[in-house]
Amino acid sequence: MSIGIRAAIGLNRVAGRVHYRQLKLAAFVSPVLLLLVWGWVSHLQLISPQLLASPLEVAATFGELLSSGELQEHLTKSLSRLTLGYSIGASAGLLFGILMALSRNVEALCAPLFHAIRQIPTIALIPIFILLLGVDESFKIAIVIKASFFTVALAAYEATKGVSVNYLEVARVYKLPWTTLYGKVIIPAIFPPVLTGLRIAFARSWTVLVAAELLVADSGLGQMMQMGRDMFRLDIVLVGVVLTGLIGFCIDRSFKWGESHLVRWRVA
Amino acid sequence: MRSISSVLSNLGLGRRAVGLILPILLLLGWQYMSTRGASFAYAFSSISQMQEALRELIATGDLQVNLASSLQRALTGLAIGGTFGLVLGVSMASSRIIDTSVGPLYHILRQVPLMGLVPVFSLWLGNGDTAKLFIVCLSAFFPLVLATYESLRQVDGKFLEVGNVLKLSRAQQFRHILLPAALPNIFTGVSFALAMAWLSTIGSEILFNAGAGLGNLMMNAEMASRMDILVVVTILIGVVGYLLTFVLYRITAYLFRWRKVASE
Repeated sequence: MSIGIRAAIGLNRVAGRVHYRQLKLAAFVSPVLLLLVWGWVSHLQLISPQLLASPLEVAATFGELLSSGELQEHLTKSLSRLTLGYSIGASAGLLFGILMALSRNVEALCAPLFHAIRQIPTIALIPIFILLLGVDESFKIAIVIKASFFTVALAAYEATKGVSVNYLEVARVYKLPWTTLYGKVIIPAIFPPVLTGLRIAFARSWTVLVAAELLVADSGLGQMMQMGRDMFRLDIVLVGVVLTGLIGFCIDRSFKWGESHLVRWRVA
Repeated sequence: MRSISSVLSNLGLGRRAVGLILPILLLLGWQYMSTRGASFAYAFSSISQMQEALRELIATGDLQVNLASSLQRALTGLAIGGTFGLVLGVSMASSRIIDTSVGPLYHILRQVPLMGLVPVFSLWLGNGDTAKLFIVCLSAFFPLVLATYESLRQVDGKFLEVGNVLKLSRAQQFRHILLPAALPNIFTGVSFALAMAWLSTIGSEILFNAGAGLGNLMMNAEMASRMDILVVVTILIGVVGYLLTFVLYRITAYLFRWRKVASE
């Protein structure tokens, strides 16, 4: 790419600040372009409007669902399932992972079964969970717990195993009491990788919950989309897609923000 | 305090045997539940029933047909989606225009849970194999774009300087320096994409519920309350997923055996 083109679209490294702002602006180009093409294609009606709702229609449907209170209900349902399942699964996984890494007995006892079950994708367990737990709330929460538990447990286990022996030796030399050992050495050391594990676990839980709601649910974003699919209302489906994506995006970003801000001391 | 394993080794059992305790307890518990009357036997089928189910699935050919169709879907999806992912990743890493213009869109779209796209694709492409394949392609596409992009960007600057000294053209630089340096990491991305492709194959088969595939086999078993078939197929899915990753791992280790030598 020639320097001329770079300068023309403002990508050349000239002055730091301006350059950065222009880059930020450029970041909006492709999403806006996608919206425009989408609007244009649906305006031309090349594809039947039933199969391609225009962006404006989707926005209108969003407003409709919002004013009728339907959307809030689905959203609350999905998010509360996610929060409940995730907090149980992630905290249990965290404790279990650390315990398995620290205790040889627990490791010898549990690791083989843990690694075996870990191989089975959560989504493949949905049918068994349905048969065991029925199609009620407990099934959806159990599936979220499964998705988050194993991911977080693995991250915590590997992080704790990876704590440098040097740290532990220094702690032993200074004869640190175990409270200090945990509070000042082990937990700070495993914090960054565990945070990454928590983020991945969240993304997996969210996908699996949406899948479970698509399959069997009486409420929730997944069910709303499924209903849209059954009624051939692509606008409703798209509202759901945009929302699930947006929720995933926002939470992913906040985890990443946490990763880069909470562990800033690490760089220093 | 004596550890469990030392107690066991005194009994003449190895340390590995400790790991079998929980699975055996689980099996015994399951078997016990299955003998507790009809209401439990509905959910907890006995182990002999599961063996019977496995035999039945193989004898009727159900297992082979559905396994073949799932495998084919996952691998085709990986091939198509992976190729596109590789191409986009390379172009994003080598051109800043593509990076700044397509990158943000990619990062936004990547966040949409793939299974959430099932209703959209079912309206656009129908409930058949095309829609499923599309989802599988996407699931392999997204991780590979990121892996390719990151691996190419993380290539050590020293290597590129050598290329500059030798006055390599951009194409030569890419072919002889960037690609060999990034390839091992890209293959890690491929193994991740393979895992995602397998997962979304099963997921899309469960959600679309038409045609052949292990997911469909499970949904039919679920409708018929056949827990024995469900357990057999679920375990099979885990084993196949593990084997796929393992085979790819061995291939990678073979392909990049020069790397170990080089780094020593």
